[in-house]
Formats: sequence, structure tokens, C-alpha cells
Amino acid sequence: MRSFSLIFKQFSRSVLLIAGFAFLGFSAYAQGDAAKGEALYKAKCSACHKIDIRVVGPALGQIVTAETDDKWLAKWVQNSQGLIAAKDPKALKIFNEYNQAGMTAFAELSDGDVADIMAYTRTTWKTMQAVPAPGTVAGQAAGTAAGQAAATGPSNLVVFSMIGIIVLAFIIILVLNKVIARLERLLLKNKGLFAEEAATQKAPVDRLATVKKLAKNKKLVFFVLLCGTLAFCSWGWVTMWNTNIHQGYQPVQPIKFAHDLHAGAMKIDCQYCHSGAYKSKNASIPSLNVCMNCHKTIDRALNSKTASTEIQKIYDALGYDPQTQKYDSTKARPVQWVRIHNLPDFVYFNHSQHVVAGKQKCQTCHGQIQEMKEVYQYSPLTMKWCVQCHKRTKVDFKGNAYYTNLEQVHKLLGEHKPVSVAVMGGIECSKCHY
Amino acid sequence: MDSNKKYWKGLEELNKTPEFVEKNKHEFAEPIPIEDVLTGGGLAGSTPRRDFLKALGFGVGAVTLAACQKVPVHKSIPYLIKPEDVTPGVANYYTSTYEGHAILVKTREGRPIKIEGNPKDLLAKGGVSAQAQSSVLDLYDVNRLKNPKKDGGDLGWGQTDEFIKSELAAIKAGGKKIRIVSSTITSPSTLAVIADFITQFPNTKHINYDAVSYTGIIQANQNSFGKAVLPHYNFDKADVIVSFGADFLGTWISPAEFTRQYVQNRNNKSLQSKKMSRHIQFETGMSLTGSNADVRIPVKPSEEGLALVNLYNAVSGKTLPGSKALKNNSTADKAIAIVAKELLAAKGKALVVAGSNDVATQVLVNAINSLLGSYGTTIDLDNPSRQYAGNDAGFVEIVNETNRGEVDAVFFLNSNPVYDYYSSKDIVAGLKKVRLRVSFADHNDETAALCNVVAPNHYYLESWGDDNAIEGYYTILQPAINPVYDTRQAEQSLLIWSDNAVKDYYTYVRNNWDKNLLSKGGLSGQSGWETLLQTGFVKAAANVSGSYTFSRDLNAVAQTILDHSNLLAGDGSKFELQLYQTVAIRDGKKANNPWLQELPDPVSKVTWDNFAALSPADMKNKGYQEGDVVTIDANGYSVTLPVLSQPGQKQGTVSVAVGYGRTNAGPVGDNVGKNAFPFFSLRNGTFQTSATAVLTATGDNSPLSQTQTHHSIEGRNSIIKEATFTEYLKNPSVETGKGKDHKDYSKNNLFWQDYDHPQYNWVMAIDLNACTGCGACVVACSAENNIPVVGKAEVGRRREMHWIRIDRYYSFNDNGKGGVTKETEIAKLEDLDHVKVVYQPMLCQHCGHAPCETVCPVLATVHSSEGLNQMAYNRCVGTRYCANNCPYKVRRFNWFNYWNDSRFENYLQNDHTLLVLNPDVVTRSRGVMEKCSMCVQRIQAGKLKAKIEKRSVKDGDIKVACQQTCPANAIVFGNANDPDSEVSKALSSERTYYVLEELGVQPGVGYQVKIRNISESEA
Repeated sequence: MRSFSLIFKQFSRSVLLIAGFAFLGFSAYAQGDAAKGEALYKAKCSACHKIDIRVVGPALGQIVTAETDDKWLAKWVQNSQGLIAAKDPKALKIFNEYNQAGMTAFAELSDGDVADIMAYTRTTWKTMQAVPAPGTVAGQAAGTAAGQAAATGPSNLVVFSMIGIIVLAFIIILVLNKVIARLERLLLKNKGLFAEEAATQKAPVDRLATVKKLAKNKKLVFFVLLCGTLAFCSWGWVTMWNTNIHQGYQPVQPIKFAHDLHAGAMKIDCQYCHSGAYKSKNASIPSLNVCMNCHKTIDRALNSKTASTEIQKIYDALGYDPQTQKYDSTKARPVQWVRIHNLPDFVYFNHSQHVVAGKQKCQTCHGQIQEMKEVYQYSPLTMKWCVQCHKRTKVDFKGNAYYTNLEQVHKLLGEHKPVSVAVMGGIECSKCHY
Repeated sequence: MDSNKKYWKGLEELNKTPEFVEKNKHEFAEPIPIEDVLTGGGLAGSTPRRDFLKALGFGVGAVTLAACQKVPVHKSIPYLIKPEDVTPGVANYYTSTYEGHAILVKTREGRPIKIEGNPKDLLAKGGVSAQAQSSVLDLYDVNRLKNPKKDGGDLGWGQTDEFIKSELAAIKAGGKKIRIVSSTITSPSTLAVIADFITQFPNTKHINYDAVSYTGIIQANQNSFGKAVLPHYNFDKADVIVSFGADFLGTWISPAEFTRQYVQNRNNKSLQSKKMSRHIQFETGMSLTGSNADVRIPVKPSEEGLALVNLYNAVSGKTLPGSKALKNNSTADKAIAIVAKELLAAKGKALVVAGSNDVATQVLVNAINSLLGSYGTTIDLDNPSRQYAGNDAGFVEIVNETNRGEVDAVFFLNSNPVYDYYSSKDIVAGLKKVRLRVSFADHNDETAALCNVVAPNHYYLESWGDDNAIEGYYTILQPAINPVYDTRQAEQSLLIWSDNAVKDYYTYVRNNWDKNLLSKGGLSGQSGWETLLQTGFVKAAANVSGSYTFSRDLNAVAQTILDHSNLLAGDGSKFELQLYQTVAIRDGKKANNPWLQELPDPVSKVTWDNFAALSPADMKNKGYQEGDVVTIDANGYSVTLPVLSQPGQKQGTVSVAVGYGRTNAGPVGDNVGKNAFPFFSLRNGTFQTSATAVLTATGDNSPLSQTQTHHSIEGRNSIIKEATFTEYLKNPSVETGKGKDHKDYSKNNLFWQDYDHPQYNWVMAIDLNACTGCGACVVACSAENNIPVVGKAEVGRRREMHWIRIDRYYSFNDNGKGGVTKETEIAKLEDLDHVKVVYQPMLCQHCGHAPCETVCPVLATVHSSEGLNQMAYNRCVGTRYCANNCPYKVRRFNWFNYWNDSRFENYLQNDHTLLVLNPDVVTRSRGVMEKCSMCVQRIQAGKLKAKIEKRSVKDGDIKVACQQTCPANAIVFGNANDPDSEVSKALSSERTYYVLEELGVQPGVGYQVKIRNISESEA
């Protein structure tokens, strides 16, 4: 009996529990699986929505938490235009509030799927609100500071303390030397060699005499002068030689665009922005509509609470208002980038020639661009540098029918193996000068 | 086999004038001042030590200060929102239309920089005239009107519209006349707009007025066949062409098209099939066409009609009343008899054309053509040309109406009668009585200056529109750039002013095409329109070209001609004045274009001026020296012009070009030469281009800037080679001696190492028999390679910068006998009337053993592995040794920084006009040599394209600028390493020779011997 009642007790408890859960679920929200919802959210919603801020569509966290009628929400998600067409008052209000931009209909999402998404949205929004905002900022700041330290190598503190230690060591050595000298003098005094005292008094005169004596040594003077002249000349030579070579030129740009973030961390292909490099002689700086492909939705650093001032510069240049998401072309002002790589006008350089036909990586000339916070001129861009590369680089004949005939020519010649760009005529004047 | 025929570049070389001999001792026209310094007081004069130190100190200080300048910061400004179809650095091509020719406009970063032919163009098959090539520069002309003007003051479009609409309403209510004067409109949509305007204002009449008119032909066709049209001529179908003063290769109706047709029966392909047309030209002054003719007979303007009457008699076997032999011109008489025989022999394949604008003359020409069976074959009346539809009498009537005060409004569209109407004062007086005078001119030209409203039109590169040059051939005009200034298309203005339902001209054109024109090419709807924008034209099925028989009485016609003849001839004491258009300037509408002004006239080689051409005999009789300024008095008008001794000019005649002497063209064209339009006269309802004139010397001398006398031929006979067709048929390698006794100079290898050309060997072949010398290549080269314009004074100093020039050589008529010595020829000065002309495009020959390369001390010019003679400007230090050592004289020295020297008003200097520069070619600075690069930028681009597309370079992929524009296809460029390339085939022809081959320089440009179709029987 006891066992039976036990079983019953357990059974009734579970039934009650389930009933309770079910009741709770149906009365409040249809209960969904937040984990499942996250996957769906990322696949279907994140292109236009964010939990905390408005992008193309409204910020979901607040709006979904406030809205309790999940059935209505499901209807909206599955076919918002239907609701609008049916003149649903709530739907019309949202529609008008968001510039009458229609939301894509997700008929493929079942009611359950929508419930999952809602669950994810609400839980995420809840956690977001629970975490104190300043903490995040502070944490982030600390993180970035550490990151910066790591990026720049030894911190200032280390450098200063090293300098301090060295200075201290010098002082100690000096003091010790003084002490040793005094001790020695005492020792000599004790030995009765006092006569030395007078001699040491004449010492300064002697020292000057040494200099005079040295100045009379013509060989030495000549040697010193020669060294000086040589040093001056070589400095002059190097300076003159490098006139107008701006290797390392790193001007301040109007927007602090970080290649290390975009090309490095985010791994965006160079071609995405510099599309000209594969088609044209100019690699071309991307026009701002390319920036807006991403920055229409990304207006701040990851996990940042405030919009980035640098990204705001893009909006300002375009006359774009992120609040209303409208462009005002009268306010548009182009961004005046400072040109870093300047070839003289009498040189014809073609990016596509090097990148497509020559299969060169961007990094060959531009350095580790994906690691540069601010871009600087990596290569000297001198003719010597061009010619050297043309002499060293082997032409990759493979897979390009252009070279088929020419390859035979070189086989016939039976020399120049392997064939460099220079052998193909790549260092002749009119390949670049016309 | 070297001919011992004498060629000469100009009379001064022929006569060895002391001046010429002296000048030719030196490489440069003016001595270099350094010699004065070295020989004169320069070295002897002592410079005090203090002065020297001061100068040194100042110099070092100045240089140091100048060097302190910071490196300029370059800004790089990308598009805010990049248009999808623009990639910076990559050219876009748009189809468009120039004077009825389908063309391609090359744009870079949204600005047109070059005009190229549409290879599918029905008229010239990708050939483009010098005018079209130069038209791109006018787009950037800073002197274009920048906004509408009323009474000289600026006005917005809104106010302009308001004013004109209220005026028009008032005029309509008043019931007085409205007139629209335009040069011939070939655009169907424009004509429709005007028709709509006329519906709105029924008192309006539209008259086509052409400065150089073809009313005579149109009227003659009306009289002869009842069809008032300008026929479409087919020179390609003619075996015998006889032209009476029609310069059909240079200026007459549709020269680029006719050049293409004409050459088709004379080029290499035709010769190899043993076929060559025959061309006989009767004319007064030496024209481009005359200089290309197989036989050229100089006749006076008064003899032209008579000669036609005689030809008619000879062809028909009848004798028109009053006909007589030509007085004092037995050559012409003889020639007419032979010509008639040849024409009859070629019945159905013969063509007679005349340049005269006289109705009677043209009726007679129609009669002759009818007898020869030309209608339906060489002349097409059923698919007529629409290029000229000027109505001379109609315009004269408008002038009379204005003077009678009957007109209240007049609109000038692309017409400038105040400048080019023969009686300018009448129109000036008449305009004063017109209430509303509106000009659509884009410059404040002579007529616009007298208008109260100027509503500037878009330039054609900014416009929508269409064109219909010949029946059934409709081309589309689409803008290649946004309007540069605040201008508005004239058609749009007319639409707005006439309150048309369609206010936007683009929509109007679109509707017109959708409704009427697209279907003609089998197109429709949006996709059809898009196809049209890509192809550039539609071609309706041609009408069947019918045969027409002339059946009218000619007695009265002959009488009119003879009367006119007698009037012109007078007692023979006066000169007969012939007015003509030059190939470059034509009617003067484009006089403000520096490329055209600097393009040497094909025959006289004069730049930047018009002149009075006299025969050498008349020069001698009158005691004139070249450049002597004379007053020409005719038809109650007189101008002063320098004289030019022109071999080939008929004795007793003087030729003067119209199109010069503009006063309101702009800074380039103003006061260049003198206006000759007032010499025109009105006779039987058409403008006449000849008159009797009195010449009196003024005592001044104003030297002309000619280019051809700049170098001497130095007695070398291997420069030009020519043969007769009979000789050619017997032995195709006549003159070149290919195959047998041809000496191989390529082994003449004393100084030079041989170069390998393992990949490519870029060479060129130029067919002297196809080249007509029109000069389109010169302008195309200027546009492609950013060649500076230097102006009249500098051309006079032999400093023109053209990379390609057309050399013009004269030779005496040797009657096919060959080897006439110069002495016997000179004895008969009359023979200077019968000179032969050969044109030879001369450019860097890219020698395998280049003499320039050996003398360059800094290796600025070296040989490439692709057969090019490279020129590295930045390496050049300007010794000019290379120019001295070049046997072809094709190197050009930059005496100035033409792009920033304030002494030159160069198009390179202006911030606006320099937008026309080709960004792929650098501008050269002072002190460096330049020369033809064989368009190396195009070679490089062609190779790169092939590399990226992973294929070999195909023959014809790369076209150089001069080759691309040539309507005659005289220039072939390509890879000599490829035995199947066009150029290899051309160079292997028997006619190929190399200029100055015996020097052993191994030129890379081969020329093909000029062949003349002269039979032994006649002169």
C-alpha cells in the first residue's frame, strides 16, 4: 500500500507540475526553447534587427518583452504585410513608425519557431539589462588597454624603471669610485707618501696640455677631420638619395580607419573594398556606399554602448541620419583621404597587371596591411625597388593561355630558366614610362 | 630599281631659293643663342669677381629656399556613392552620333576624352574624320556660354522661359511671322519638335540654311526627276569617276564615307585582284581630291560649265547650242574627249559629280549620268542623303521678310548667318526690325551677339537625340557626360516654349523612337531601346534603287551655263576667284578648335591662316613673293590676304578658303585669316562660289606658317615610290624590285647589334595608294597622346609637335615615260600646273637599327624586345642629338612647358580643357624629346587584357589611334612575328618598300607603292 501511495504521490506531483507549467506557459507566453531560438534568430533576424538598438528594424528586446500577445507576434513574423493589408491597428502603427518599410514574410517559421525566437530575445534582453552598463565599459576599457600594451611592446613603466635602474647604478658606481679613491689616498697617506699631494694640484694644467699636444699631432687631426667629413658626406648622401622617398609615411587620415580590424580581425577580403585592384590600374579607395553595406547596421564597436564617432563620420559625409535612416544629399561632403602611395605621373602602374596577371599579394608591396592600425607606406616605391622585384619574380605561366606561345619561345631560346619578369621585357622603359 | 623621278616638297626646294638652302643647313630654324654667347662678346666680357660671388650667393640661397618647400600633401577623394558602371581607371564607351556617323565616345571617370569610330557604322565603317576627332575638345571649351543671356546680361532659365513665352503669345496674337533658321537638321526627333512648334504657332516657318550649300543639286534633281533630294553616291561601285570641282574626299557632302568607298577600288585588296578605279578631276585650285586623282586637269571656274557641256556632247553625240572648245585650254579639250570614251566604256559603272551649286550645271551633270546609266548603280535617288537640305532662296526670302518688317520672331539653331551669309549687312539690318531674336548658339557667335535672347544649347556630347544621314539609317545620340554648364537642349527649349505635352526631350526622343523608328530595325519596347543604345543605330531595309532617265530639253540649260561662263571669263584680264572649304576648318563653325587650326592643310600645308592661292606662273608675272599681302576685290567686297604659290593652281585663277576670319568664335578662332563668305553671290536662287576678282599688292608681307618646307628631301629618291597601274599589272613589284634585284639592306650592319623580338614585333604597314592625306590621323594622334598645340608663330619656327605628319610631295607629270630631268621641266613653267601629288604619313619608323639610339648620351631612347623604339621622357636631358641623327625627322622637341607657359594659350593649361587629356599618357615637360610611341599605352592595355582573360593577343585586338581613325584603312598595325596577321600579309605584298631602306636602319614601318591608273594614251 505504502508503495502504491508513493507511486500515486509521485504521479500526481508530476501531473500537477506539468499542469502547472502548462498553465504558466499558456497564461503568460508560449514557452519556447531559447537555445533553439538563438540559432533561428541569427539565421533569420539578425540581418535587420538587434536586441538592444534599432537598426533597419526596431530593437527587439524591449519591443518583444513589452508585447505579450505571442500569437499576434507570430502572425506578424509570418506575414506582416497580411496584417497591414487587413488594417490591423497595431500593425499599421508599427508600419508607419518605421518608414513604411515592409518586413520580409517568414512563412517558413512555425508558431513554435517564433516562440523559440521570442524566448531567446527575452532572455537575452533580460541578461543585458541585468549586467551593469559601466562594468562592461570598464571591463572593455581595461581589455583594450591591455591589448594596446601588448601591441606596443614594453610599456612606459618598464622603460622608465629600466632607465631609473641604470641611472641608479651609475650613481652607485660613482660613489663607490669616490670611496675607493679616498681609501687609496688614506692608504698612501698612511704610507707617508704625502709629496703626491702637490703633484695632483698641477693636474688640470697638465690635462689641457695633453689636448694641446694632441692638437699638434697632425696625423690625428687629419684623421678626426676625415672621419667628420666622411660622416657628414655619408649623411648628406643618404639624405639626398632618399629625397622624395616617403617610406614609412603615415599621415593622419580624416577617419581613423583600422585595417587591422577590418582586414585582420574581421578577415574582410581586400577586394571587397578595393575592388579596382582586380580590374583597373587604380586599386581605388572605396566609395562610402561600400562602407554602408556593413555600417548601416554596425554603428559601434563590439559590445559598446555608444555609437562610434569614427563611424559617425561616414554618416556625416553621406548626409545620413541613423535615426531616420534617410540620406540628405545636400549635406553630403566627400571624405578627403590623404594619399599615401604617390607614384610620379611619368610612371604607369596598373594594379590589375600585378594582382591578377602577376598573381601578387597585396602584402608584397603594401606590407602586412592586415596588422596596420594606421596605414603607412611600406615600400620605398623607387624604380630600383620596382626593377629588383621584376628581376627576382618568376613569371607564373601555369594556367594562363596568354603565355602558351611565349613559353614555347623561351623553350626555344633554351636559356633564362626560370623566366623572370625582366626576361619577359619587364624592365624595358616603355613598359612603365609612356 | 630606283626611279629617277624628281620629288620636291615645295617650290622653294624645287627652285633652291637661297633662303631655303640657308635654312636647310641647320637642324633648327633659328640658331641656338649659345653660339652667340660663345663667339660674340659673351666670353670676352669680364664678370667682376664680386658680381660673380653675388650671383652665386643668390643662386645658392634661392635654391635652398626653394628646396625648403614641404612635399605637398596629396588628397585622394573617392566617390561618395560610386556609379555602378564606373571603375576609376577603366574607360567606358558609349555609342553616339557625329554628323550622322555612328561613333563611340570613350569616357574616363565620366568625362569624354576621345571619339572613336563605331566599327559597324554604315557610312565610314569605323573611320572618323578630323572634325569628329577634334569635337571632343570643344566640349571643354571655356568660352562656351554658361547660362542663358538676355540683352547681354545673365538670366535664369525660368525667367528666360517666361519672357519668351509671353513674347510668343503676343506675337501669335499679333499675327506676324515666326521663322526658325537652322543648318540642315538631320535628326527626326528635332524635326518633329519643330513640327510641333509650328502646330502651336502656325505662323512659323522652318528653313534649312547651309553656309556651304547643296541646293543646286537638290533643285536639279527636282527639275530633272521630280525628286528634290540630295542623292546618295556610291563611289565604290564606280570604275570611272569624273569630278568637276567636287572635293568629295575632303569636304564634299560626306567625305569620310566617300573616302571609304573610293579607296575600296584602289587599295591593296583591289590591286591584288587586278582592279583599280580611275579618277579624273577637273578643278581650279588644288584640292585634296584633285591631288589624289589619277589625272587632274586644271580648269578655270568659267571653263567648268563649258567643259561639262563639251563632255555632254561627247557622251551623247549631240551638240548643244552654243558649245565651243575651251579657249586656251587644249589639255582639257583633249582630256574631255578621252574621258567621254572611258565613261561610255564603263557605262553603269561610271560616275560624274560636280561641286558647283549652280542648278543648270547640276542638271547637265544629271543628264550625263543618265546617259551613263549611273542611276540605280553609282547614284541612288531612292535612298537619298539627308546630310544637306539647305534652301538658299528660302533663306534669302527670310532676310527680305525681316527687312520688310514682317517677322516678329526668329530662332537661329546651329546657324550663324551674320558671319557666313554673303550679304551680312542685309541680315544685320533686317534683324534690327525683329522683335524677338533668339539664338541657340553655345558660343556668343556673330549672330548670337545680335540676338536679344541666347538660350545656349547643349554640346552634342551632352545631348539626347538622333540622326538620319541617309535614308533608312538612323543613329542615336546619347549623352556621355552631364551638362557642363547651365545650358539646355534647344529642342527642350522649343518644347517648353510651345507648351508641348511632353516637356522633357529625352522622353520625346524615346516616344518618337518607340512609335516610329525602333520598328524599322525590328526592335521594340524597353529591350529594343537598350539594344539600340548598345549598337548605336538601326538600319531599315533599303529602298530599291531605281534607274532614272533624263528626258528634259537641255538647250536652255546649256544657254544658262554658257552665259554664266562668259560672265565669269569676261575679257580674261581679271582673275577668276574660286572659293573653297579647307579640309580642317570647312565652313568655319569649328574655327575655335586649336587642333583643327593647327592641322596643316593637306595640299598647301598651311596652318592657322587662309591665303590666296596663285599659280607659280601668275606669281612670277605679278612679281609676287610668297606671303606678299594682296587685296582681293570681288563682288563689291575686298579682303587682304597673303599669297601662296600653289603648283597645280590654274593660271589666271585665285583660290581662297572660306571659314576663316571669324570675329566671335572665341580666342582661338577669332581673327585667324579673313572672311571670304562675302565673296559669295546669289544667282538663279543659289549661292555661287566663284567670281571675278582684281588683285592688287599692298606691299606688306605676312609669312604663312607652313609645315612641309621644314625639311629637305635632300635628293633622296627612295622616299616616295610610285608606278602606273599598267606597270603594276605587268610587274607587281615594280619600283620595289622585290624578289629579284632587290638589295637586302637588312644586313647592312656596321654599327648596330641585332635585337631579338621573341614575343612580339610591332610593325606597321601604310598603303600609299589608300591614304588620301586627309589628316584625320594627325588629330586622332593629338587626342590620344596629349600633344600640345603650339600656335602659328611656333609652327613658323618649325616647332610643331605632331607625332605623325602627312608629307606631301610634288612631282612633275612625266606622261608615264619616267625619268624626266628637272631642267627640261623647269624650262616650261606651265608644267607647274600639272603636278602630281603623293601623300605619305610619316611617323617614327621604330627602326631596328635606330640612329637616334646610338647617339643618345643618356640612354633615354632605347630599343625594346618588342621592336619599339622607346622614349623615356624622364631620362632625356635634351641634347637633341637624336633629332639630328633621325633620317625621318620625326622627333619633336619640347621647347617650352606648353602646359604651363604663360606665353602659350594652350589647351593643356586650362583647368577645364585639360580634362580632355588621356590619363594613360603623361604630358611632357620642357627640354625633352618626344615622338610616336606606337601608342604603347594601347599595346600594353591590349596585352594586359589578354593576360587577364587568359588568352593570346589576337590580331586586331590592338589598334593604334591613327589606324583606328583612318576612313581609308590605309594604316595596318600588328605583330610581325605572327605570319597570319594582317600586317604581315600587308608587308609581304609586292608593293611594300621601306623608306630610306638603304641606310640600313631597318625601319619598322613599311609603305606600299603608290599606283596611278594612267594609261599611256593620255596626259
